Amino acid sequence: MKYSAEYCKPGEFQPIDLLAAAAAREVCDGDVVFAGTGLPMLAITLAQHEQAPNAVCIYEGGSIDGRPLSLPTSVGDARCTYQASRASGLFEAFYGQLHSGYVDLGFLGGAEIDKYGNVNCTVIGDYNQPKKRFTGSGGNADICSYARRTVFIMVQEKRRFREEVDYVTSPGWRVKKWPSGEWASKQEVYGSYFKGGVSTVITDMAVFRFDETGEMYLDTVHPGFSVQDVLDHVDFKLNVDRVSGETLPPTKKQVELLYHVIDPEGIFLP
Amino acid sequence: MSKPKRITLKEAGALVHDGDQITFSGFTIWRRPVALCYELIRQGKKDLHLFEVQGGYHSDLLVGAGCVKIWEGAWMGQEMLGKIGENLARKQIDGDILVDDYSHGHTVGRLMAGALGLPFFPCALAMGTDILNPEYDQLANAGLRDGKHRNIPAKKYVIAQDPFFGRSDCLLLPAVNPDVALVYAPIVGDEGTVRVLSQSYNDAEVIKAAKTVIVICEETVPDSYLRNDPAANLASGYEIDYVVECPWAAHPTGSQFYYDSDADFLKSYNRNVRDQKAFDEFADQWIFGVSCHEEYLERLGTKRLEGLRASSIMGYSSRIKRGTRA
Repeated sequence: MKYSAEYCKPGEFQPIDLLAAAAAREVCDGDVVFAGTGLPMLAITLAQHEQAPNAVCIYEGGSIDGRPLSLPTSVGDARCTYQASRASGLFEAFYGQLHSGYVDLGFLGGAEIDKYGNVNCTVIGDYNQPKKRFTGSGGNADICSYARRTVFIMVQEKRRFREEVDYVTSPGWRVKKWPSGEWASKQEVYGSYFKGGVSTVITDMAVFRFDETGEMYLDTVHPGFSVQDVLDHVDFKLNVDRVSGETLPPTKKQVELLYHVIDPEGIFLP
Repeated sequence: MSKPKRITLKEAGALVHDGDQITFSGFTIWRRPVALCYELIRQGKKDLHLFEVQGGYHSDLLVGAGCVKIWEGAWMGQEMLGKIGENLARKQIDGDILVDDYSHGHTVGRLMAGALGLPFFPCALAMGTDILNPEYDQLANAGLRDGKHRNIPAKKYVIAQDPFFGRSDCLLLPAVNPDVALVYAPIVGDEGTVRVLSQSYNDAEVIKAAKTVIVICEETVPDSYLRNDPAANLASGYEIDYVVECPWAAHPTGSQFYYDSDADFLKSYNRNVRDQKAFDEFADQWIFGVSCHEEYLERLGTKRLEGLRASSIMGYSSRIKRGTRA
């Protein structure tokens, strides 16, 4: 296979390819990454093939640093443990690895997000009388609590980028201090346990990051979209003063890797 | 030290009583004690209180069949094969069931405290989230934290200062000691030693935390075989109370090195049980419409089961069609 580091032109890649490439760029070489099922698996594997060959992946089911031959469809999949350094369990993953401070990067999804990066993946409507129910936290809240950086991959819709989310499943930069419920910074709530937090949000339209005060700002807009398109799909006042340009498309090499090496069966990619 | 008792699936079902708190082995769509859950439904169990790190097909079935009153856990779904537990979601919206949400770290910690015989587990996970919002404490809202219910702690959590090093506040989570653990393990020795063949999930904690442990397995083997490699074993025989030998007992969930999860079955289930009538039809076909586990396997058919069979080298099926380009 002849790989090319040349960037794809419009029409030479699918929207999901750009998402995977943008997410893969968030991985630094040597990072210990805690990833969920689906797109996060594509992103971490793509990063391992490129700039981050020494990145290590932990899946919630307990596999540590596996080198699957085929894309897993579950973080508990038998495929996850192929050539892993360990096949442990959830206690090791959540306490031995995450709580003890080994995890650099978390890859997560969510249904709703606010400008401080609080994410909802539990319920729409009043929690006590919900309108729509999602999966619940799973490891979402834990990983977002303790990873040094967390990347959320989400769908860009006005109803999902909200001033206030219906339920805070995962903590952003300003959260409520329970049991009283007063707002406080994440650093204050976590004190000496504070490690970091949500760093990046990648959607099908743009990449967002967080400023010094913990508020979301627009960083790059994907090819084919404008800043105004993004503003039209956000329901809070979004800072667009720091836009740094257009999101880089995937390279031809990345698309080759995604379709022919990482997901040749078409499990996640079309 | 006593060996676990060998019993039948029907006898195992009868060990679970209405109102019991039960928990399960496995993770999402892997190593779930499904055959035993079918049996609980056939026996018409009521008011069960499920505590699980995360739910899946096995527990969504029990919910759909009306066996469950309280569900405590962190997540419910079938991963890529169905994003939510349809029955749990529907019954929560309808107000037919009490759901109390946690994070994975919380449920794992609660089980570990139970497994270790400790009263609570300290951690600093998911602080600042609505999981800790007192207004959303469903068991308190229902008046069940009054000390009269043996499996329901007086408080969902306590935030406490570190009394030793003066570090920051952390979260204390109450231990959980379920009445019965329903465990699926691929291999059990004739003295009860348990082995799983891949990630251990929470299986060891579930076994230790529960008062009664029932293990359903693919096969029993001489204990001496398992004792040749003690580092590979999960639990000792004296921790297990009952063993049921029941091949394919985890179907449609998977069992590493025995069979893959049945993606088509799980996807079709999740698509089709979005209302109670559809669930009831499903249950009529696959649970009430078969007289025993063997008849369930006959209905699935050899072709389907053989397609799922795992490679003895890789641990998963290399024949199953997984994606759209395979």
